[in-house]
This record gives sequence, structure tokens and C-alpha cells, in this order.
Amino acid sequence: MKSEILYPGAFPMARVELTAGEAIKAESGAMVASSPTIDVESKMEGGFLGALSRKFLTGEKFFFQTLRASRGPGEVLLAPTVPGEIVMMELDGVNEYMVQKDGFLAGDEMIKLDSQMQSLSRGLLGGEGFFILKVSGKGTLLLNSFGAIHKIELKPDQEYIVDNSHLVAWSGTTSYNIERAASGWVASFTSGEGFVCRFRGPGVVYIQSRNPGGFGAWVRQFIPVSE
Amino acid sequence: MNSPNALCFGEEFPATGVPCHVEVSPSGLTVRFQDDARGLGELSLSFSTVSVSAGGLDHDQLVLRWGLTSQVQTLYLKDPAVIRAFRSAAPPVLTKHLDETAATVRRVRSRNRTVWAFMVAVIGGLVLAVWFSTDVLVGWAVDRIPVEWEKRLGQSAYQDFLVQQTVMKEGASVAAVHEISQRLLEHILDNPYTFEISVVKNDVVNAFALPGGYVVVFTGLLEQAKSGEEVAGVLSHEFNHVLERHGLERIVKQLGVVAVIGIILGDQQGLAGVMKQVGVELLSLKFGRAQETEADVTGLQLLHRARIDPDGMITFFQRMSEQEQGRVEWLSTHPMSTARAERLKKEMALLSKTVPEPFTFQWETVQASAGAVRR
Repeated sequence: MKSEILYPGAFPMARVELTAGEAIKAESGAMVASSPTIDVESKMEGGFLGALSRKFLTGEKFFFQTLRASRGPGEVLLAPTVPGEIVMMELDGVNEYMVQKDGFLAGDEMIKLDSQMQSLSRGLLGGEGFFILKVSGKGTLLLNSFGAIHKIELKPDQEYIVDNSHLVAWSGTTSYNIERAASGWVASFTSGEGFVCRFRGPGVVYIQSRNPGGFGAWVRQFIPVSE
Repeated sequence: MNSPNALCFGEEFPATGVPCHVEVSPSGLTVRFQDDARGLGELSLSFSTVSVSAGGLDHDQLVLRWGLTSQVQTLYLKDPAVIRAFRSAAPPVLTKHLDETAATVRRVRSRNRTVWAFMVAVIGGLVLAVWFSTDVLVGWAVDRIPVEWEKRLGQSAYQDFLVQQTVMKEGASVAAVHEISQRLLEHILDNPYTFEISVVKNDVVNAFALPGGYVVVFTGLLEQAKSGEEVAGVLSHEFNHVLERHGLERIVKQLGVVAVIGIILGDQQGLAGVMKQVGVELLSLKFGRAQETEADVTGLQLLHRARIDPDGMITFFQRMSEQEQGRVEWLSTHPMSTARAERLKKEMALLSKTVPEPFTFQWETVQASAGAVRR
């Protein structure tokens, strides 16, 4: 499997080359085009209950699609729903990543996807909801963001503060606490930041340069209200 | 080379760490790096040189540190087998600390589970409480609506309806309905309503009551009934819908919890506005099964007190359900089932025996008067 990102920037597309028999998992609806040798299979990752829990708990789509080069080698073009960058990473089999809902675009067939429950405070205030996707295994992983994607590298015990809802993915070796953006409650909210996540290394944190919720609120003000 | 089971971090290492394979021996650990390009090769650590803590997102990884302050290296272990091997081989000084760490992790997990269980219980409890207390809440809200207000509400719907209909002002049928109503109304205990009854020219076999005591009887009903007692049965049933405030209960139920809270907090006037918004129409309100049963039973008791033969109520319902199902509108809102008839018969058996007093009118004359309207 060989992947490359075409048209990097706001409207990128991922091109994945598959040898005969190879397959990738992709978010349902992510396929843009493919060679005629590629077959699309819809699969409920983790069985029916697993798929159901992912659908209702993480907000991810019920089915993932598996794109298999069953009739000879071919290529697949994939794109996310929202405008924003795609990042490609190689999982080494030891590092695990937590991915916020909607962050997963595609991945090697050998990659494992699980729904992970967050603690109450992280679920309520972290901005990613109570359930996130845990991605583990070995192979290529494609993530997508809203806006540009930025990688923060943390050394052991190094800390970094990220506004909640700007998170895309973070490695399992990091830990984070939710805290107020400013020292006082009033200042935290009047500053517009509310709650933030204080990450502690080692590990990497991928963040997106735009906040989908904030963008939604901004768009909403232009939508005419029906009587 | 064994597959990597740990990640090693340090100043010179990438942020994602370097995958390595860790083996535990009685004297310490052996760390083998895959990435030979860095020239890391193999590393042997004795237990005395490492410190232990828990780390990672869920505090479920074993973190080992060693080295000088400027060049500390950290190892993240997640494989349960390796963690178990470490715990059994490491000296008590280290494992004591490890046990404390494990206890902390367990405490955090158990606290998380408790919090979740508590949240689920609270949410579930609230849902159940709302589910089961709807009737209580509705009853409470309805009790707080003054009769005066209820009258205004019913009156406006009643007048709107009558404007489009031909109301009979006199004749044998009007007199009969008046006599039946008077007999019933005299025997209502604590009646806060002034009932107003109109006979409307219409073939539909129907009668209905609006909140506040506004009752409409169609001539179609008078034509189909075989006696005054049968009409009395229907009227008694309808009067009791008013007395039990069933119409208001339906309105409040349809408007929902928001309205209920509004009424409880004292905003009864606002209800009319909300009704308008939601589009609740008084004339199309349907009563629930429990309300029908209540009106049946209290209606039967009222007939009994008024010394009107209650058999009329049951026979009329049964006869109507057997024939002309489509045209008898009253039955569409009051489906007559065998169970309902059985229930009424059972209730009747409980009442003391009285000698019914017949009405003064001749039923044939009443029917002729109601039928003449049509011709």
C-alpha cells in the first residue's frame, strides 16, 4: 500500500495505491473515485454492537467501508467531508492514538479501531464528547482535520495547552487534564476560551487550526430564521 | 529480533518515542532497540537504577525512568505480560511503590466507574420519574387552572362552533334534551359549572362536551336513540367529562411539560397563547382510555342518582357499535368494546336497586320532531 496526498491545503485528496488483494478501511462516504479493480465492501468494524456503539457514542458513521483490490492492483481516491488538511502517519504497532470523532479518514486493513470511553470531566469539558476512537496496530493511518493540521511534539513531562475542540488526535503516552483557560471563572469565559486541555508528554498531539463548533456558530448567524 | 513491546523516550529521541523490546530478568531489564541507525543497540538496566510511576492517558502504562537529570530516559510499558513480569522480579522497594501506583490507578478507575454509574442512575431516575409522574403533574397543573378561565376557553370554542350550525331553539326534541339535562344536573354534587346545552341540526350521531360545561347534541343522535334513557346515558357520560376536567387534562398533556410548569408557576393566561401556537383544537380533542372509563363509571353513578334507567346507556352503546359503524361519529371517539360493556354491567351490579322514574315526554314525539328537521 502506497499513499500520497494530492493538492495539500484546504481541499486535499488522498491517493492510495493497492497491490492485488490489498485493502484499506475508510470512513463511509470517503471514496471519491477508484480503479475498476477495486471492490467496495461495507463492514461493521467490531461487529454489530461495536459499530452501533461507534455510531451512537463517537458520532462516527455506522459502517466503515473496506476498499479491496480484489480483481488486480488499482488505486483509490479519498477525501473528507469538511475542508481541511489530511495527514498521513505510520503506526509502529506500539504507539496508540486517540482520535476525536470525524478525525479518521482511512487506514491500513491491519489497523484496529475501538471506541474508548473518556472520564466524565474529559467527556463533558474536553470538547470531543464522551467517546473517542482508539487507533492501534501497524500500518498507514490517514487523519483529516477542519482547517490546517499542526503537530505538537512533546518531550517527557513537557506541557502544552490546547483549546478544547481544536484537538484531532493524540498519542496514548500523553496525558491531559481539563482546566479553566484563565485563573477565574468569569475571565475563562469572557476570554472566549472556556476550558482548555493541558497535555503532558511524551508523545504527539495533532491539532486543527479551525474549530468546527465555532465555525458552525458563525455560519448560523447568517441563516434566515423561518417564522 | 522480537517485536517491540515498549516505547523509549528521551531528549534525543523523537516525540513518538523509539519502539523497543523489553525483557525482564531477575537482575533487571534488557532493552533492545530496533532502530540500529541510531546506534542504540541494547541496554541493560538494573532495578536499582530505575524509578517507577504510572503514566499515559488512562494511567495504565508503567513508566520507568533512569539516567541523570539532564539526560533522563523514559520507558513506557503497556504490555500486561511485561508489567506482570516486572512486578514479580523487581525488589520490594520498587514494587511497594508500584503497588501504591497500581492502587492509585485502581482508585481512579473505580472512581470513574462510580461517577458514571451515578450519572446513569440519575439520568435514568429522572427519565423514569418524568415518565411516571406525568399524570400527577398534569393533575396538579389542571387543579391550578381556575374554572372561570376554563369556561372562557370552552365558551369561545362553543360559540365559534355554533355560528356555523343551525341551532334548534324550540320543539319537542329541545324540550326533551332540556328535561334529561335538568334531571341529571340536579343530581350533580358540588357543580361549579353552569351547563349550557344546544341541540344542533345535523344527521351525525354525535354529542360532545367542551371544557367549562358547553354541550352539543346533534339531532342525528336523537333520531337513532330508542328512548330518552339512551340519550341520558350519552349526556351523563359527556357531563362527567366536563366535571372530571378531562378536556383540560388532554390540553395540558398535548402542550407538554413546558406548559405544565408554566401553569404550576402561575401563568395560566399564557396557556391560551401556547394552545394557539401548538394548534391544539378543542373540538378535535380525543380523550384517553382511562378518561373514557372514568366518564363511564361516574356517568353511570349519576344516572343512578337521577333515577334514570342505566340500561339505556349500555344498550345504546352496544346497538350503535353493531350498526352503522361508519356514520356514528360518537363511536369513533368512544369505541364500544365488549370489555367496556362488561365493565359497565359490573359497575351496575354494584349499585343499589332503585325504581327508575320515567321521563314526561313521549319518545316518538321527540324523534318525530328531530326527524322533521331533516325533511
